[in-house]
Amino acid sequence: MEAQSNIQRLFKPLISWEGFLLFALILLFIGNSISSPFFLTVNNQINLFQLSIEKVIVAVIMTLVIINAEIDLSVASIMGLSACAFGWLFQMGVPAAAAVPMVLVLGAILGGFNAFWIAWVGIPSLVVTLATMIAFRGMARVLVEDRGITDFPDWFDGLGQNPFVGPFPLAMIVFFLLVAIFYVILQKSTFGRQVYFVGSNREVAEFSGVNVRRVKATIFIASGLISSLAGLLFAARVGAVRGDVALGFELDIITIVLLGGVSIFGGTGTMIGTLLSILIVLNLRNGMALSNITGHIQTGVLGVLLILSVMVPTIKQFLTKLFGAKISGEQKELKNE
Amino acid sequence: MTNPILEMRNVHKNFGKTAALSNFSLALYPGEIHALVGENGAGKSTLIKSMTGIHQPSSGEIFVDGKKCTFRSTQESQAGGVAAIYQEPMVFPDLNIAENIFISHHDRPAFINWKQMYDEAEKLVARLGVNLDVHRAASSLTLAEQQTVEIARAISLDVRVLIMDEPSASLSNHEVERLFGIARSLRDQGVAVLYISHRLEEVFELSDKVTVMRDGEHISTKPTAEVTHDTLVAEMVGRDMQGRFARVPSVATGETMLSVKGLRKFGEFRDISFEVQKGEIVCFSGLVGAKRTDVALALFGIEPADEGQIEIDGKNVEIATPKDAIEMGIAYVSEDRRKLGIAMEESITANITLPMLARYANKMGLINTQLEHEDAQNYREKLNIKTNDLDGAVGTLSGGNQQKVMLAKWLNTNPTILIVDEPTRGIDVGAKAEVHQIIHDLAAAGVAILIISSDLPEVMSLADKIIVMREGHIAGIFAGEDASEEQVMRLAVGAKTQEEVA
Amino acid sequence: MLESINRKFGPNTLRVSILVLVLVLMVLFFSTQIQNYLNPRLFVRISTSVSIIALIAVGQAVVVMTRNIDLSIGSIIGCTAYFLGGIMALYPNIPAFLVMPLAMLIGAGFGMVNGLLVSRFKLPSIIVTLATLAIFRSILVQSSGGRSITTASLPVWLVDFARTNAFEIAGFQIRWMVVIAVLVVVVMHIFLTRFRAGRQFYAVGSNPDAAEFAGINMQKTVLQAFLISGALAGLAGFMYLSRFGNITVVAGLGLEFKAVGAVVVGGINIFGGSGSVIGALVGATLIDLLDNSLVRWELVSEFWRDAILGLLILFAVAMDAILMRRLNARRKKPIDEKVQDPQDAISTNGTTPKMEEK
Repeated sequence: MEAQSNIQRLFKPLISWEGFLLFALILLFIGNSISSPFFLTVNNQINLFQLSIEKVIVAVIMTLVIINAEIDLSVASIMGLSACAFGWLFQMGVPAAAAVPMVLVLGAILGGFNAFWIAWVGIPSLVVTLATMIAFRGMARVLVEDRGITDFPDWFDGLGQNPFVGPFPLAMIVFFLLVAIFYVILQKSTFGRQVYFVGSNREVAEFSGVNVRRVKATIFIASGLISSLAGLLFAARVGAVRGDVALGFELDIITIVLLGGVSIFGGTGTMIGTLLSILIVLNLRNGMALSNITGHIQTGVLGVLLILSVMVPTIKQFLTKLFGAKISGEQKELKNE
Repeated sequence: MTNPILEMRNVHKNFGKTAALSNFSLALYPGEIHALVGENGAGKSTLIKSMTGIHQPSSGEIFVDGKKCTFRSTQESQAGGVAAIYQEPMVFPDLNIAENIFISHHDRPAFINWKQMYDEAEKLVARLGVNLDVHRAASSLTLAEQQTVEIARAISLDVRVLIMDEPSASLSNHEVERLFGIARSLRDQGVAVLYISHRLEEVFELSDKVTVMRDGEHISTKPTAEVTHDTLVAEMVGRDMQGRFARVPSVATGETMLSVKGLRKFGEFRDISFEVQKGEIVCFSGLVGAKRTDVALALFGIEPADEGQIEIDGKNVEIATPKDAIEMGIAYVSEDRRKLGIAMEESITANITLPMLARYANKMGLINTQLEHEDAQNYREKLNIKTNDLDGAVGTLSGGNQQKVMLAKWLNTNPTILIVDEPTRGIDVGAKAEVHQIIHDLAAAGVAILIISSDLPEVMSLADKIIVMREGHIAGIFAGEDASEEQVMRLAVGAKTQEEVA
Repeated sequence: MLESINRKFGPNTLRVSILVLVLVLMVLFFSTQIQNYLNPRLFVRISTSVSIIALIAVGQAVVVMTRNIDLSIGSIIGCTAYFLGGIMALYPNIPAFLVMPLAMLIGAGFGMVNGLLVSRFKLPSIIVTLATLAIFRSILVQSSGGRSITTASLPVWLVDFARTNAFEIAGFQIRWMVVIAVLVVVVMHIFLTRFRAGRQFYAVGSNPDAAEFAGINMQKTVLQAFLISGALAGLAGFMYLSRFGNITVVAGLGLEFKAVGAVVVGGINIFGGSGSVIGALVGATLIDLLDNSLVRWELVSEFWRDAILGLLILFAVAMDAILMRRLNARRKKPIDEKVQDPQDAISTNGTTPKMEEK
């Protein structure tokens, strides 16, 4: 009996989705390393991250949004609007150092706008954020029209482009900080626990004294704030803003999160899963780019992965059936008592 | 004598090892209203489902017009002339009445002749003797009108056996009158109506024959004229003493813990006043739909009452949210484990500690998982929760163990007032005894306990005080040791005594 | 008041009437703001542009009625326009009457992929179509190798089709495109209101459990909805090809959001079961008219278009949600009436159990 449960403990991580992702990631590393000797160097990995850093930053908070059984399609538009608002403020003569906090406040307000309709009026987040996706993008275009705004102060561009600590640029440090913070929030904090329960079963959470509206509102406000931060980082990295900053990023971001094992129906998923998924997607895109596969096709491949990822429950079931039948036998016995 | 339209012979239906129907025989004749009565859980819904093709009997035979039939779906049963309508009507809110009636007519032409359809629908509705505009969308109808639409749908399919499953439970008096009118006109047109109701007055007013069932078995079928309220109630509850739990002496302390005065919620309940002492076990008895759960939800702050006072430990309190209630020491264990009780995807430990998370958190809001596990471990031992992984999802446990996790979750809030809604529904005898023991232990520790139960033997063995509710108000209060099942049941169904009937 | 209106006309007629009223008011408003607004040229421009949006809005409406969503429409239009252009360049002799069915067939092929994934594998339609949005586009990019379709490579009749009049009323020219779009709306309206097969879309979205109970084949119905949406997107792709002639790999990008917007504004409940294609048409017209008018309004920069469009969608949904909540509130059963019934008061007194002192 004891031995059996030890075996179970040993195998458990392997039959989990995260274990599967880790396995896939190792395969990907091996494959890419064979095709290019420079692949597994720190610099190459940093470059990989830098190319999509804004997306992966937003994927961190999107993990919470989807665990909470909601969706936020407006993140990319908030990124765009924030970047454009920054450019516009800068053009109006507001110093960049003052514009940054103003834009972050704007991001939180945009998130709060979503939260109002979702948590208080009770309109599904899919509809609300679809509408605000269009509206926020439109506002970004109102601010900068068809111009591009450049010539930000050197310190600002430098934050996006130069190494900040060691070889790591600021955005990457922000990313890992956010991953660490939200890992702790999800796994260790009371708020994180409430996020899981609200996503898994809203009524149960409500009956247990959880303020469901407050949890949902907090997440959407945080989503707006972090998207806005990502938009600013984009502006700093590229050194310019236009109306189409981050256009269409929401698909990539949602794909990453779902691929990381977060269920679209809420209640399950982890930050580790999202992190592994980010590593896989970045390295996969890199591998495809090395094989001369263009951006649109890469997105198509991600689309296929997205469909596979919503089959996660089906795949999980299949894997458990295949490998876990003996291991979970004990549990089943209990069920039939 | 004419031949029966529908006849069941020796039908058995087993779920796993438990028999929901055993050796059940019943015959329904054209042009009669046949009432079916029995306690909650007597097997009435299994019977209906076996007749309408939702369940297939494990053994036994069903005959329609003397021909043996096997219904594998509701469509097949409808084609065979048997249909059922339920308390909650199955209508399409966005479609109009005529369309709702004819939606399951798959043999009608592909092109819809609306005028003809309205005409036919009007005729059907007129046949029921009601006045309804068939152009109206179902979403604009009252529950009673939606039921009428369902009945019209059934007779449009030339159904000759119509089963009505507690159709009156949420209807007002004049709506019930109208429903009776419909049932009678169907009878006069040669339809066999099987009418299931908890309300005995209705049985006597409406039916020609009455069948009593208990614990999945057929007890009796007699002409209604030959039975009385007393004989019916006796047959419904009269079970052997086997399986009863012995009464435990009351440990009530005499100090009032909870006092409710004149609680009212418009459209739900009214005039709810009672007291619970420390250590006292008070049971709410009554039929489904008597609004017992609504009173509990008001006390727990989910759907706060509109009027009335709640006093806890002598202090007047205001309960607006579940959080308020939990802070005041109230715990509510819901009857709907899956929907309201526990979150299946989350771990056992997390489920247990959810309402009390603040207790495990430091100032930063971080949870001390060590402490959490100790408490969960504690409950695993105390309540005998069978699992070897407290971090595993609750969904992997058996029903009885899930029930214990839900109980552990609320015990962990250290309640001074514990409300338990149907504590043992759907769990086996062993687990039931364990749950009862836990309740007694809590009472002994001075917790005021409120139990909502439709299980009469359970009420009889547990209660220090029995509050019977009917249709949103308190119909009577008994002392637990003096009450009999008959008395409680009589009050719950609104039965009349001999003198009254006469 | 609300109740009597609802009884008489039904919520949908009410909605569409309000929308038409808004449409008329909008036209009046812009005619005071924009010089020479009500001219035949602008009419032609807007009517042809609406035709394309109306087609995909109708397809989207059918999908939404069944409680699903199709976000891949833009990519289907792009693919159909591109592949059809390629085929026409290779085989310019394909008879004109076969081209439109061909376009619809291509579109329905894409729709079938969506429909099978959603109905057979029970995957959420939002995820499936978000993914196929990318997948179909990448198929287009892959097979085109970056080349564009140009007007020069197409048969003359095809290029001229978008500019050919069916007839003329009082100086206002009605293009064939408009006639086809109106025809589709009318046919779909008749199908959805007059045919049993059409009513099943409503039934499935209105109450899936009851639909199953009534013996309606859910999988088939959902698959059909995606096939219709795909076929109509294909037809829109044909019009797109004719109207613009030059087709690049980004053709039709973002049109899916216009379709969803039109449907939501047109009063089709995002939770399924209600709405009409007439509503979708009016919604499409409203959105496109707003789009085309804002461009010409000097007071406001044309860049306000999307901002206003997004807020309009949100506003329409919020109004609808609040309105429907008001209408539904009436449905609550009148229990108080029963509880207060004087008859009830006597019924408990007959029994004489020992009543406990309170």
